[in-house]
Amino acid sequence: MSCSPFDLKDYFFEELGGAERKQVEAHVTGCHACREELHRLRLTGTTLLSLREEEIPRRIAFVSDPVFEPSPWGRWWSGFWNTPARLGFGSAALLSAALVVFALARPTPVAPVRLAQVPATQTAQTAPAIDEAAIQARIEQAADRAVAARTKQLVDEVAAERQKLLLVAAELDFSDRRERARTVAALDYGPPQPAAVEAK
Amino acid sequence: MIFRAVEDGDLIRQAARGNVEAFNLLVSRWEKRVYNYLLRLTANREDALDLTQDVFLKAYQNLRKLDDAARFAPWLYRIAHNEAYSMFRKRRPESDVADLPPAATETGIAVGGNPVFPIELSLAVASALGRLTPEQREAVTLKIYQGFKFEEMAEILSCPVSTIKSRLYTALELLKIELAPIEARGVS
Repeated sequence: MSCSPFDLKDYFFEELGGAERKQVEAHVTGCHACREELHRLRLTGTTLLSLREEEIPRRIAFVSDPVFEPSPWGRWWSGFWNTPARLGFGSAALLSAALVVFALARPTPVAPVRLAQVPATQTAQTAPAIDEAAIQARIEQAADRAVAARTKQLVDEVAAERQKLLLVAAELDFSDRRERARTVAALDYGPPQPAAVEAK
Repeated sequence: MIFRAVEDGDLIRQAARGNVEAFNLLVSRWEKRVYNYLLRLTANREDALDLTQDVFLKAYQNLRKLDDAARFAPWLYRIAHNEAYSMFRKRRPESDVADLPPAATETGIAVGGNPVFPIELSLAVASALGRLTPEQREAVTLKIYQGFKFEEMAEILSCPVSTIKSRLYTALELLKIELAPIEARGVS
């Protein structure tokens, strides 16, 4: 167990900062056990490094084949699409499309043309009140027209329904009468007997 | 060192634009390190070579997805790690990766050419590494032989730094014990 202020293995692997390294070095100078431990670590590291790297048996190389190479346009597109710019580009394209659609779909404003015909001096004081009253009157007229049209429509609908009901009632009455006539004919009572025969 | 990193960055950008020669130069710089990393993992030269080729092919295909060229090394080793473990799973789908044979089964891992150290020392190290679990061995390989920082190792192995440190420190304790007799015979 090490008594060093920081892990000696972290020091050995050079994972400590400058100040921490200095603290460890100062401690190791005065601590025999930690100095021995650090010596063992260094010895083990040196021994491990005796296992040298091998040369690769066969060098690796890639060959450029024009058949499989993408076109310059394809490379540009692939390069562009695999960068963070694609998100910004996509957002900008969507925003542009939304603006165009909104601009084309919006109705043409009418009110500004009328206001422009009024002299500027009048517009400043009287125009808002007149416009307010006119708008109110128009609203009322429009509401009256709408109510009248709706009322007329409802009256027409009621009249049409009444007409239909009358027709149905007439048909039912006619059917009832015909049925009763058939019933009477089926009973076959015959003609009434003369009064003389009855006295005899 | 900084100069070299910039050069790598330039090569990565050129390769991402489809420059195969730039990528080949990048491969020539990294192939030995990746091969040796995979060799420690698989303990088989043919597998390591095949995997190295697959790693660089995947790297070329996905180079455009690499946002930061400075993160190329951890990114490349992440591919290598995934490729190796994918191969392990294909070969032994029923068993755990921890059941894989240790690297020491192949004694050929020892030094090539004229070694500075005696051959028996290299064999002893290979044997000691072979007694570690695959996860511990990979942690030792990435830290001791490849020189990655803990954060980079966590990125490569997709696990927390605390897990990486735990694996590495446990492995180091085991290696200290395993290699003590060899060290006592004189390694300077």
